[in-house]
Amino acid sequence: MRLPVWACLALLSSVPIAQAKAATRPHYGGSLTIELSSAWSTLTESSALSIPITETLVRLNARGGIEPALCVAWQHDPDLKRWRFSLRQKVTFHDGQPLNGASAVPSLLGALKGKYADVSIQAGGQAIVIQSGEAMPDLLADLASPHAAVFRQGDANSLTGTGPFRVTAWEPGRRLVVAAFDDYWGSRPYLDSIAIEFGAGHARPDIFDIPAGPARRILPEGIATWSSAPRILVAITGPNANPVLLQALALAIDRAPIVNVLAQRRGEAAFSLLPQWLTGYAFLFQSAFDVPRAKQLVSQLRPGPISLSYPANDAFLRSVAERVALNARDAGITIQPTSTAGILRLGELPLQSTDAATELARMAATLGVGHIDSSKPDTLYEAERTLLDRVVPLAFLRETYGIAPRVHIESSKSDAFALHLDDVWVQP
Amino acid sequence: MSFRTKVFLSIAATAVLSVWIVAAVVSTLVTQSFERRDAQRTAALVNQFQREFDRRRVEVARRVEAVTDSDDVQRLALNFGGPADTSAYFAEAQTLAQEQSLDFLELVGPDATIISSAEWPARFGYKEDWLTASSGWKSQGVFLKKEDLADGEALGIITVRTVKAGDGMLYVAGGRRLDQEFLDSLPGAEGMRVRLYRQTDQVTRVNSDATVTAIPLRGRDKQLLATLVIENSRADLVALKKYIQGTAAIVGAAGVLLGLVLSFWTASRVTRPLRGLASSVREVAIGNWDTRAAVSSSDEIGQLARDFNGMTEQLVEQRDRMIQAERVAAWRELARRLAHELKNPLFPLQITIENLQRARDASPEQFDEVFRESTSTLLAELGHLKTIIGRFSDFAKMPAPELEPVNVNQIVREELQLFEAQLQAPGGPPVKAILELAEDAGEVPADPDQLRRALHNLVLNALDAMPHGGGLVFRTTRHDNKVAIEISDDGDGLAPEECDRLFTPYYTTKQHGTGLGLAIVQSVVSDHKGTITVHSELGKGTTFRIELKA
Repeated sequence: MRLPVWACLALLSSVPIAQAKAATRPHYGGSLTIELSSAWSTLTESSALSIPITETLVRLNARGGIEPALCVAWQHDPDLKRWRFSLRQKVTFHDGQPLNGASAVPSLLGALKGKYADVSIQAGGQAIVIQSGEAMPDLLADLASPHAAVFRQGDANSLTGTGPFRVTAWEPGRRLVVAAFDDYWGSRPYLDSIAIEFGAGHARPDIFDIPAGPARRILPEGIATWSSAPRILVAITGPNANPVLLQALALAIDRAPIVNVLAQRRGEAAFSLLPQWLTGYAFLFQSAFDVPRAKQLVSQLRPGPISLSYPANDAFLRSVAERVALNARDAGITIQPTSTAGILRLGELPLQSTDAATELARMAATLGVGHIDSSKPDTLYEAERTLLDRVVPLAFLRETYGIAPRVHIESSKSDAFALHLDDVWVQP
Repeated sequence: MSFRTKVFLSIAATAVLSVWIVAAVVSTLVTQSFERRDAQRTAALVNQFQREFDRRRVEVARRVEAVTDSDDVQRLALNFGGPADTSAYFAEAQTLAQEQSLDFLELVGPDATIISSAEWPARFGYKEDWLTASSGWKSQGVFLKKEDLADGEALGIITVRTVKAGDGMLYVAGGRRLDQEFLDSLPGAEGMRVRLYRQTDQVTRVNSDATVTAIPLRGRDKQLLATLVIENSRADLVALKKYIQGTAAIVGAAGVLLGLVLSFWTASRVTRPLRGLASSVREVAIGNWDTRAAVSSSDEIGQLARDFNGMTEQLVEQRDRMIQAERVAAWRELARRLAHELKNPLFPLQITIENLQRARDASPEQFDEVFRESTSTLLAELGHLKTIIGRFSDFAKMPAPELEPVNVNQIVREELQLFEAQLQAPGGPPVKAILELAEDAGEVPADPDQLRRALHNLVLNALDAMPHGGGLVFRTTRHDNKVAIEISDDGDGLAPEECDRLFTPYYTTKQHGTGLGLAIVQSVVSDHKGTITVHSELGKGTTFRIELKA
């Protein structure tokens, strides 16, 4: 599904600071240090910080349109069941192996099998043919997803892609170091290397995340901030919970204090699974904070105490869980927040792409729902409405980062959805 | 209940009761002593609690004052000078509470909205209306208050301070918990336990071995918020009481054992002569009047034995005198009867002999005729005398019965046959004999001759009772291993007083009777270990009933 024009405008308009010091010419070289409060356990973690280690066959441009990446051309039959892609010439993986059809097939097949069960991929030279018994109208959007990145799986601590940065050191949960890939087929990134430390400890990082929640960090002099578009859904999921109970809970929770106070205004209230900027119809799900109606629903159910789990060591989600419990108590629902397993689960569902159908399908899979029809906006809306029986959306959060003064962001690729580090350069 | 048992119970009861009384008195005195000690300890603890409570009040006031004066709170208050955005301060109370070691701290805006809460961070945005609804808390300084928490309720020592915030006030309400930890910090004596029960707390079972003192704790509106419960262990008292009870039980058991021994000894000393006396009484009762009780002591029991012996001696003497008197009376009666019976025939004999003498003197020619007539008269009267003497001889010679199986119905039938000729004699009174004999009457051990003689006398008696004829009924029955023979007439019957004397020897209601017939019947029945009864009604007849063992 292509991103609508208004959504592109919304994304562009939400770029908050874009400290694009246009008057300064970009500088090549230098290293960037990043400090993140949450640790990555894999190299494919979803984050607004985009480190291009791998690439996809196609990608979404700033306007939401599909443009070539590792492939240069594609064509399909009238039924959209057979697609042929021509791969870019002279592209090499970080280990020096050339990119061709055969080397791209394993990762692509792994990415597409989940959605298209009978998909098959044939490779011949620099061409690959993707076939399926069913029509694949969203194949380009699927291939633009980070999940469809082309890579060669090396050992457990390595991810060999074709992107402008290559992994030089990876200690899961502790440290990641990438360096500029000199044989990159495109333009070289500005930075020579990027070092990411997980957990506090670095004296003066160039970029650091400002997590949502009560732990306020006093920003040093000159530090700017960059915030993404609302891209992390905070929601309560309860696949096995009574839908009426979830409906009562949704009515009982006052989302404004969660967004304004707990998230310190770094987000917006959520009543849908996908944000308004992504679908354009999210406002249709908006409902009022209505405790009397919630009480009415609860009086029919007479529920017992319900446990609500949140990730251990996540202070923000714990405070949200406690607020939810407080609101629920006003409606007669006893919620018991717990960091262990519970009937209901409070968690963050980050968006991984800017394609609504892809994201909704991924959420449906997360919630245990099978295939959803996303061919048209109205069916997408219906699918989301169905999924909302199992989810209580609370807020869409932005990712916010502190940016040191020597860091500059070129705006060629970066948008409000992700901060592309190959667009970043540092003042010597 | 035997005398020995009574003695045993008396001694045992006395011992147990005495021990119980002593144990109860000692136990009561010990209890009172412990209660006085507990009261003193409780009073000391309450005073200590009050001092500690006052100290904490001062401390809470000082710390909340410090929070109020802090830069953060002053900066927050300045926020209200314009459009207030307090969202950034929602975690402020936790930091400030931690700095001042306060358990409770809430920063509340002029509109009573919680800006930040340390004890329940999620409650920001909710109202604390009590702060603005009334200013009564101002006069109380530091007070007790029930605080709502996410996991329930808690009791706090709370105070409120205010800071000028725009046109209104910023309220700083803070305090410390009044909880078990606080109570545990109080120096209590060993065996004391202090608990705090809030209104919503479920009261756990208080140790039954403890005395409990409850002190109400009230809030700013004098409402009861909690109860301070002081438990004084009574373990020592209970242990001492158990020791006393155990000792008493042992002493009591020893008393019972002693009572058992004493009762046996006393009973053997006291009841031995009594048992001998009782045995003597039983001997006398069965007729051994010569029995004497042994006199083994000079006490009351010895006196009783002596009196008993004196009594039996008097009874023997009286019996002998009575027998003698009865013998004399019997001989007199016999003499009187003999004189009476013999007098009647003797008088005609005397007249006849005198006639013979007069005839021989006055009319010798008629003497022969007179002699013949007189001799026949003499012979008749002498025969009469012989009959009388024979009857007395029969009564005197009544032999012991020789028992053999006798068919009762057969005896009755044979006796009826003896009288059939008399009953059917023409000119005699019309008597109809009726036999009502039970088929199962069977046999009885009896002397057949004596039994026939008894029945004969009864039949004669019945016939005498019916001079004008009537019905003579012979009836036999068998019941409960006894055989009854009844002979009934429908003559004139007898009066009750006549019935009472009927079997007395020489008593008769007939002019020519000797009074020995029914006496002989009773003698026969008695010798057969049987009984004879009479039932009679005047004008209806008389029934004699003989019962013999089968």
